[in-house]
Amino acid sequence: MPLWFIRGLRRGVVTTRYPARPDDSAALLPTPPSFRPGALTIAVADRLAQVCPSRALTREGEVLLYDVGACTACGRCRAEVPAAVTDSGQFELAATIRARLIKRIPLADGGRAPGSGAEVSP
Amino acid sequence: MTAGTDTSRGVKETSEALREAVARQFGRSLHIRTLDTGSCAACEQEIRLLAAPHYDLHRLGFFFTPAPRHADLLMATGPMIRAFGPAARKTYEAMPGPKLVVATGACALGGVYQPDAFTHGGIAGTLPVDVWIPGCPPSPLALLQGLLVAVGRLAEKVQDLSFTQNGTPR
Amino acid sequence: MNPLPVLAGAAAAWGLAALIALIAGASRPWTRACCVVSGLGGAAALAGGAASLISGNSRVVTAGGSVVVGTLQLQATSLAGVFVALLGLIAVATAAYVPRYHEPGRGTGLYLAVYNLALLASLAVLVAGNVVTFLVAWETMALLCYLLILRRPRRAEVAAGAFWFLALSETGFVLIIAAFVILAAKTHTMQLDGIAARAHLVSGGWRDAAYLLALTGFGFKAGLVPLHVWLPEAHPVAPADGSAFLSGLITKLGVYGIALFGFWLLPGGPAWRGILTMAAGAVTAAIGILYALGERDIKRFLAFSTIENIGIIVTAFGAAMTFWAYHQRLLWAFLLLAGLYHVINHGSYKTLLFLEAGVIEHATGTREFDRLGGLARRMPRASVITFVGTLGIAALPPFNGFVSEWLIFQGLFQGFRTGSHLIAILIVLAAATLGLTGGLAIYAFVRGYGIPFLGMPRTRQAAQASEARQPVAGPALLAVACAALAVGAPVVLAALARAMRTVTGVSLRPELLPGNLTVIPAHTKFSGFSPTWLAVFLLAITAVPVLIYLAGRPRAASVTGPVWDGGIVAFKPRMQYSAMTFSAPTRVTFDALYRPSVSLRRASDDPAGRSGPVHYETEVTPVFERYLYRPVIRAFEWLADVVRPIQSGDVNLYLFYVFAAVLVAYLIAAL
Repeated sequence: MPLWFIRGLRRGVVTTRYPARPDDSAALLPTPPSFRPGALTIAVADRLAQVCPSRALTREGEVLLYDVGACTACGRCRAEVPAAVTDSGQFELAATIRARLIKRIPLADGGRAPGSGAEVSP
Repeated sequence: MTAGTDTSRGVKETSEALREAVARQFGRSLHIRTLDTGSCAACEQEIRLLAAPHYDLHRLGFFFTPAPRHADLLMATGPMIRAFGPAARKTYEAMPGPKLVVATGACALGGVYQPDAFTHGGIAGTLPVDVWIPGCPPSPLALLQGLLVAVGRLAEKVQDLSFTQNGTPR
Repeated sequence: MNPLPVLAGAAAAWGLAALIALIAGASRPWTRACCVVSGLGGAAALAGGAASLISGNSRVVTAGGSVVVGTLQLQATSLAGVFVALLGLIAVATAAYVPRYHEPGRGTGLYLAVYNLALLASLAVLVAGNVVTFLVAWETMALLCYLLILRRPRRAEVAAGAFWFLALSETGFVLIIAAFVILAAKTHTMQLDGIAARAHLVSGGWRDAAYLLALTGFGFKAGLVPLHVWLPEAHPVAPADGSAFLSGLITKLGVYGIALFGFWLLPGGPAWRGILTMAAGAVTAAIGILYALGERDIKRFLAFSTIENIGIIVTAFGAAMTFWAYHQRLLWAFLLLAGLYHVINHGSYKTLLFLEAGVIEHATGTREFDRLGGLARRMPRASVITFVGTLGIAALPPFNGFVSEWLIFQGLFQGFRTGSHLIAILIVLAAATLGLTGGLAIYAFVRGYGIPFLGMPRTRQAAQASEARQPVAGPALLAVACAALAVGAPVVLAALARAMRTVTGVSLRPELLPGNLTVIPAHTKFSGFSPTWLAVFLLAITAVPVLIYLAGRPRAASVTGPVWDGGIVAFKPRMQYSAMTFSAPTRVTFDALYRPSVSLRRASDDPAGRSGPVHYETEVTPVFERYLYRPVIRAFEWLADVVRPIQSGDVNLYLFYVFAAVLVAYLIAAL
């Protein structure tokens, strides 16, 4: 016990260097999901909206409204429809405008191909 | 005063400049007052870890203080139960300006609890929020990113994320 | 100036006031007239007392008498002058207080008659010139005070409280008679100054016996522990001015008796006498204030505080006697002077506090600390006056309590001048005990003033208290007297020093007041301070920040906001200290003295306490009643049971008693 400092010297510095160096350790924890628009039919979207306990997912016409801020990363949507939902691994999610956390994901039935390019909030 | 978008751009530029000035002031040293408006304390446990050696917010110039009079930033968790509303307003008003409010966790952002007779369902109606940090609970790294965004030392990235899988960066 | 005619005028005024009250006391204007006359008598007594301080012992005046009571002789002594002046001050203050306090009626008329006669009897005790006068006046005073306490005989506990007073007073009286009889028999004179002149003729053993009997007998009246139990019983049940009179003057009559025997009739004596007196005083002071801290009732609290102050005075007297035994005559006279000064001071602020306790009781209907609160906003005049009295009794500068306690402490600190290590240590122990009581007194009076007057009202009665039509002139007069006694301490001390020259023969003035405003404790190179300049200085330093604020207003823009209170939404009265929780640290520390009994009843054993209220009751064990008085009372009851068969009611047996008595008398005469 008196030699704890030697143990510390041997172990080295354990403090994270974030934000100077990237630190992805938090990506291993549960994070809000990502969706595969190709698998998102209207029926699937309705099922996802019903199963989310935090009301983060709602279907508005041909679009799935996904409130990242309300998501608790519980994993129920992924358990319900594994084909459409996957873990995003994103944890740096701070926003200065609340609307930036509400993502509009077009559904597959809407006739539009699952597009490329970023979906930006208004 | 010009009409329409010119005015809004002028206002927007001014607010951005003001935000930058405030961020410059806070960037090197920030005192944080945490406020539990009725949470389950998971967010509080993650906030507590910020002071532990692994995350160590002191190296970034952030400090916790219990006194709102000494605080620059109010870090609020929990869904703002109605009984706590007056106390939350008193805490906010006791802080001298310039001040920031950070809503932390899904409860504070409006998820989990719907507004009812006992809770407001989120802190947005009671306190003017500057930065929103999602998570349940947000990990200490997410909290650090949120604080650094609040003082302008990091840029936001969530607006560029699409949360869709095919063909676009995640 | 001969004080006796002035005092005779005072006595006549009080007799007249008693007569007015007896005949016409049921109507309000006559009550006022009675009080005016009584107040005039008080003023005369105050003047006469002050005069007798300065003019020395007057001659003995024979005022008639009869075969039954013997000759009545009066003498106004310097020693009694202090007490006469105090009597006058109290009489004036209560005369101003009574009209608004008592409702006019037949009961009030009788009460005022008894009260004025009690004033008269107290004056007679103080100016008694021979043993018989003293004893007759003393017993009359005791009986009249018993009637005073019985103002409302049908209320609960009044009869019990008055009975405690009477029983202990009579017990003390027996011992006082014994002490006087020993002295009168041994010196073959009944006049007090004759006894004083011939006391050296009495052998040492009889002198010590007489002194011990006097200490115990007068200790009953003064309230020395363990003879004090009547004080907390009698004070709460008497009307406010009656309690004030009891605490302010009657206990001081006990002190006067101890001073009479210790310094005039039997001056000097072996050192153990002084040590014993000093120890009794120190123990009384400590126990008095410790019990005061556990009280919920304002008047019981003040009664125990009186016991504490009597202890301080008796400690000073005891230390003085000790110094005499070691040939330190300056300190002997000095401590007697300090003790007498504390008598006046305590009389003035304790009377004030009791009168204000009566005002509080009439304004809110309760005497309990935990039912009051926030009275400073509702009753501003009463709160200011009580604050002056509280500062005095807590011995805080610049008020009079501070000056007299400073003098006593400075006298005690000079114990090293006795030259005996043991005695010096004992005196220092007494000083340490007084230090403890001083600290506890501040604590007790922060509680005694803060709980009723500051904070939020704890009950509806406190929230609706009003001081309209409450008496204010009497207590205000006493507050002014407290301030005057402090700032004018040099004047008072000069008069007392003059009195000391008469009583002790020591010229104290140059050793006490070297300049005009500085006071030193009987030796120049020890310490000194000036009460007058201290008061001026304190006023100045509180005025300076006020002046700075008024002169330069801050010019920077400032925002006024509410105080950060932790976000409490609304303060509730139950969030404050209660009187018992405030004094809880003392009760925990001195647990061995209080021996509290705790009873705890729960509605159920649910650990979360969900199933109903918990009843928690704690009570301080009355140590003296249980372990001293009850056994004594039981012993007497047993004795009475043993002796009862003598009174069998059988006429034949009584005739036999007569026959046996005649036979015995014949045999004695024949032999």
